Amino acid sequence: MTNNSLTIEQAQAKIKRRRIISVTVRYIVLIVVGIIMLYPLIWMVGATFKTNAEIFTTLNPIPKNPTLQGYKDAMESYGGNINIWKALLNTYSYVIPEVVFTVISSVLTAYGFARFKFKGHDFLFTCMMAMLFLPQVVLNVPQYIMFNKFGWVGSKLYLPLIVPTLFATETYFIFMLIQFLRNIPKEMEEAAAIDGCNSFTTLIKVIVPMLMPAIVSCALFKFMWSSNDFMGPLLYVNTPAKYPATIFVKLSMDADTGFNWNRVLAISLISILPNICVFFAAQNQFVEGISAGGVKG
Amino acid sequence: MKKKLVAAIMAATMAVTCLAGCGSSSSGSSSSDSKSESDNASIRFDWWGGDTRHEATQKAVTDFQKANPNIKVEVNFGAWDGWEAARALEYQSQTGSDLTQINFSWITDYDKGGSAFVDLNDYKDIIDLSQYDQSVLDMCKDSNGGLAGIPVSITGRTFFWNKTTFDKAGIDIPKSLDDLIAAGNTFKEKLGDDYYPLSLSTYDRALLMSFYLQANTGEPIIDESGKLTVTKDQLVDGVKFIQNLEDNHVMPSIATLQEDGDVALNENPKFIDGHYAGVFEWDTASPKYVSNLAEGQEFVVGTELTGLGDKCLGVSDKVSMLFAITKSSKSPKAAAKLLNYLVNDPEGVTTLGTERGIPASKAAYDTLSKAGAISDDMSTAHAEVVDSDPLYFSPKFDDASLKDSATGAYQDVFEKLSSGSYSVDEAGQKLFDAYNTVLAE
Repeated sequence: MTNNSLTIEQAQAKIKRRRIISVTVRYIVLIVVGIIMLYPLIWMVGATFKTNAEIFTTLNPIPKNPTLQGYKDAMESYGGNINIWKALLNTYSYVIPEVVFTVISSVLTAYGFARFKFKGHDFLFTCMMAMLFLPQVVLNVPQYIMFNKFGWVGSKLYLPLIVPTLFATETYFIFMLIQFLRNIPKEMEEAAAIDGCNSFTTLIKVIVPMLMPAIVSCALFKFMWSSNDFMGPLLYVNTPAKYPATIFVKLSMDADTGFNWNRVLAISLISILPNICVFFAAQNQFVEGISAGGVKG
Repeated sequence: MKKKLVAAIMAATMAVTCLAGCGSSSSGSSSSDSKSESDNASIRFDWWGGDTRHEATQKAVTDFQKANPNIKVEVNFGAWDGWEAARALEYQSQTGSDLTQINFSWITDYDKGGSAFVDLNDYKDIIDLSQYDQSVLDMCKDSNGGLAGIPVSITGRTFFWNKTTFDKAGIDIPKSLDDLIAAGNTFKEKLGDDYYPLSLSTYDRALLMSFYLQANTGEPIIDESGKLTVTKDQLVDGVKFIQNLEDNHVMPSIATLQEDGDVALNENPKFIDGHYAGVFEWDTASPKYVSNLAEGQEFVVGTELTGLGDKCLGVSDKVSMLFAITKSSKSPKAAAKLLNYLVNDPEGVTTLGTERGIPASKAAYDTLSKAGAISDDMSTAHAEVVDSDPLYFSPKFDDASLKDSATGAYQDVFEKLSSGSYSVDEAGQKLFDAYNTVLAE
């Protein structure tokens, strides 16, 4: 009896030991890989406290003679015209409308292509797919000329950046949403029709909740692309007071006279914080969206 | 969910209608503003640069508005990256700022036939042109002979040395080509294989080669009429001269520089710690090198190298940047007034200091040198260039097809020459072809 219980205890101890080893190994691997992946970010945070000479000569993320000058400089404004907070505010004052409009217009367009047969459907769909391969650079000049004719260049409301998003210009999102729509059973919509929905209420009440995961990822992508856009604001914004963060970060970077990297990095770090917050917030949305998409009973 | 979405759509529609309304009304009012200009003018002024330039220029603009309350100036400024592309679009579509800071090569690139910028001779009662040498103004002509811009500063290249490293090697800083080549060997023997007395990028190499060729021919490599003054054989000789510097351990190969991280020389760790002890740079460039150097290193202004050739020193100088008034400007007189304030007026000049290099205007130069506003390094280096009897520098030398850091001929030729994939003959031939293509345009 005692013998038997001992062996059980021994076995348990053995299993426990094994588990500890396996957990330790797993964690070591994860930590090492994690550090490698995060290293550039850690380095960037460290570099905001370094001087130029130290930034270029060492890979050690911990500064030898830490200085807060980078952050002090980052808070400075350019002749009262623009500072980091104003630049961030400017960024989100066009990024948020862009995201909202892109999602609305893309969902409507995708719904139209996926669920309705109309004259010229195939031809238009082919055209739209072809747009997927059109690089933005090609559009710069004609778009500029067009917006210039409209008198929108230098618009204080960022019209040239926001208005195009009303017309479902992000082909990739339409394509992605259509693929998602294909997996949504038509029976659901038929049931909705029986319950008295027209095609628009079907979209809002049935399709959109199930499309949520795809919509959230569209919004996330658009959010990221818009807040990283450099060329758009550079072409269409010509008053420093209206500069977004992407341009603000670069304002001091003059290769002719040299500049302090710690300031540039400090500004970059501050300006990516809101983005990081959005990503963490959106993570929950992602999961909720997925569970909301399930077909019940 | 439904309510939210409907609300969002309604908000969107409302936003669109009100945005459209605002857009049209604002554009209408701006055009009526500009029509009634004569006394009251509203102008835009743009420039690129770094922090200190932004600050100083904004202050100058504010002061100008105080002195001229009837002129309203809006400013636009940014960093160099992408700046040219955005401005080029504006010039071509006639939406450029009234007063604009331009690069020397933009006259040939965007002002063909004087299409983008006004002839400033028409405003000579506002802009004091007598402050400039005629030879300098001649460089700024567009293809129709009109004065496309007012040169803000004149600049040229000279050498700067890390004296600490030269002291370590036990030699003086080089004054002639022979000194430099001797220094290469001394550095290798005394300090080690990774110490070099000089470090040159591909564009630096092209410029130094032009100095060498000019020293031997006595003529600018591309003359005022846009003709190449050297033969193919001379170019091969020039390329050989550059390769010879590398062979004598005077400068690191392009591959070595790329291994250092392919960064600007002032950001290169081996420059910062003194392994690369010399640079060939614009006369105003020393602050960005000094500020990055590790502690305990002394950075000094050198002299132009003698002994490159028997005709002259071979140095050339150029207009580094200009102010121009765009053709589309509705208040060119107000813009001209601001221009004159920035380049000639003692008050404006004092505010701007040497933010745009050492002023080309004599009045501005006198004001600054009397006030002691030109740093010793800058004035010594500038004197080196000016006193060396500099030759004409053609903007064609900086044509994008030659100078571009990714696709330009200088990059291609000197990188491949350095790695050995081009022989000196091939490299000379490539350069010869590239120059002829540019000059045939």
